[in-house]
Amino acid sequence: MAFDPHREDYQRLGLRFARSLDSDDPRDAAVAFATFGRRFAQNRDSLPQSDADRAFHLVADATTLIDYKLPFANDEEAETLISRARTLLGEAISLDERCHDAVRMQVAATTASFEGYYDFLRQGAEEVKASCEERGAEAAKDSAPERAQLAASIAMAPYLRWMAMLAEKAVICGRNREALRYANELLELDPADPADVRFTAALAYAKLEDDQGLDAFERRLVPTVHSHSSGNAWSSLARASLAYRRRDFFGARKQLRIMVASYPHAAVALARQRELPDGVFSRLCVPPYSEDEIIIAASEGTVLFQEGRDALGRGSFGSWVMLESLALATKEQLVEMSDLVETAATLVGKDQFNPSGTPGPGNRGQSGGPETPGGAS
Amino acid sequence: MRARDELVQRLATQRSEKLGGLSEGGFRELELDVRKNPQAFVDTPSDRAFYLVTRALERHEDACANEDLLDDDEYYASRTKRLARLTADCDEALAIDPDCLDAALIRLQASNLDPDRLLSALLDLSLSAQSQRVFDELQAKAPEGSLNAWTDLTVRPHLRLQAAVSRTALDTARYRLAAETGESCIALAPDDALGCRHTCALAYARLEDEESFDALDVRFSRQGSSWMHLARTILLYKLGRMGAAKRALEGYARLVEGGAYALLHPVMVELYLPDRPEAQPLSFEEATLVIAEADPIIMDVPDFIGWAQGTRNVWFAAESFAERNGFDW
Repeated sequence: MAFDPHREDYQRLGLRFARSLDSDDPRDAAVAFATFGRRFAQNRDSLPQSDADRAFHLVADATTLIDYKLPFANDEEAETLISRARTLLGEAISLDERCHDAVRMQVAATTASFEGYYDFLRQGAEEVKASCEERGAEAAKDSAPERAQLAASIAMAPYLRWMAMLAEKAVICGRNREALRYANELLELDPADPADVRFTAALAYAKLEDDQGLDAFERRLVPTVHSHSSGNAWSSLARASLAYRRRDFFGARKQLRIMVASYPHAAVALARQRELPDGVFSRLCVPPYSEDEIIIAASEGTVLFQEGRDALGRGSFGSWVMLESLALATKEQLVEMSDLVETAATLVGKDQFNPSGTPGPGNRGQSGGPETPGGAS
Repeated sequence: MRARDELVQRLATQRSEKLGGLSEGGFRELELDVRKNPQAFVDTPSDRAFYLVTRALERHEDACANEDLLDDDEYYASRTKRLARLTADCDEALAIDPDCLDAALIRLQASNLDPDRLLSALLDLSLSAQSQRVFDELQAKAPEGSLNAWTDLTVRPHLRLQAAVSRTALDTARYRLAAETGESCIALAPDDALGCRHTCALAYARLEDEESFDALDVRFSRQGSSWMHLARTILLYKLGRMGAAKRALEGYARLVEGGAYALLHPVMVELYLPDRPEAQPLSFEEATLVIAEADPIIMDVPDFIGWAQGTRNVWFAAESFAERNGFDW
């Protein structure tokens, strides 16, 4: 799962509160801690907190506005949301100038070019790492080992987000080898990969058409510590793209079927390929294997879909995935996607295009090539 | 494709073989005769088909030459008409010789297929023409290190088809396939008259594959070309070596006539029928081809053009080229 800022906010204050009870009698401490949840929700100011904690709370609120509300707002609401979020981030930075999340989010909002933001992240990475490590070392001094571990991981989280964002932007800027370098650095630092940077890495391997690289990369991962124990949409999309580019249409279809089986309404998300604004705090935090997750994966898959010339202007792989996903859609989903069905029919000819809920030989093959891997030579 | 030259060479070679071989001077005389009246030397259905393809390409080229002054609607109408004529001419050639690979190739290229389907059709054509078998046999016959498939006129159509596969693979964003196919052509015909190395260079840049790019550059003695210069720039940019990328870009702008202008003002180029049109090396004409071919790769690096525009020397080079030639700026 990606980072949930409110959960992290809760953990920060929880830790601090627990520490403040250390001198108390253990029984009193247990009673006091029982009140924490209520106080966090209703009377946050009564809890002990540092300026850094306050700043992070503002970041969490700003994230709600920018990442979770803005995409659904109309123009007028959008302006209000943006200006409120900016104020929150500005306050956060004035409370804690080492609030790297706030600094990063503010620069993201004010930098027009992909490259400008990417450069900012690249140039700042080392300093952020040093700063987070310093805070991490401080936090690790806690006498209770479990608390020390949690505190250290909270201290490093801004750096993980920074690097995960750097890797994501590297792919968008067409710098896939750099993206893989950042991803590997991050995985070395924390093999549990709370930032899910391995999703971004899968896309980068697909961009580089490096099947073997992706295989080796995924073999190195430690699956048990990850949120997605049985594959994920990014990896499937990457593998579908790799197979498609090898003209192994059978293999590519297999990956689409896996996604359709693992995610609700995947056929719709894959046919639509909606391009959403990326999360500014981090990749949006949604439940694994949810419809939202496949929508986010398909949006990030834009770098794979929209490449190469094609009749629809969706990119070569994008057009193919659209047609194939329509063939995998249920009747109800097809009704919902009548516009896409029409587009598809203009592409392949109305008489040939007749998608039904049950994929069968009747509507196979109309969208490109034989099922066997082909080659030039 | 220099179709007329190839036709003359083909007919003269066949006649010479029939006569039991000629002296060098005799062969040159024969070539002159063939050039004057090729039809008189057409003996087989296969020659006849190739002759028709030659005429069809020349007719098509003439039709293109007259389109400069047309407005958009007129141009598209003219284009549709000339491509339909070309297709009909190829059909005529194929009716005489169903194995006329050039006619089949041009017919597919002129058919306005979606690139993905075009690629499938080209690969199918390669299978049915047994190109691989032709190449294998050639390879088996040639002594080690002396293979040059381009000298065999009967093999050239197969090479042209492979070059088209490589370019179309690039068009459909299949860079690995584009490079592999291009490399296999270069291995068969190391002089690379079809310029497969150009497609490979672009593919390696997109795949950020510096090792293969350098190996290709070395294999062609670092001669440089408009494609090489641009591809190197894109490669270095993608690898994040910005100082080197800037120097490569400035090199491209300096060495390629109008290269900077072509980069900042891309234009549509005509279909390659059947192969890349010839252009003076490092000329503006070549630069327009390079940019059109590289377009999908440039688009994949969203800030590349903005960066190029912001490079002073490149901006000035483009501006002064436009001024000198009276182009829009």
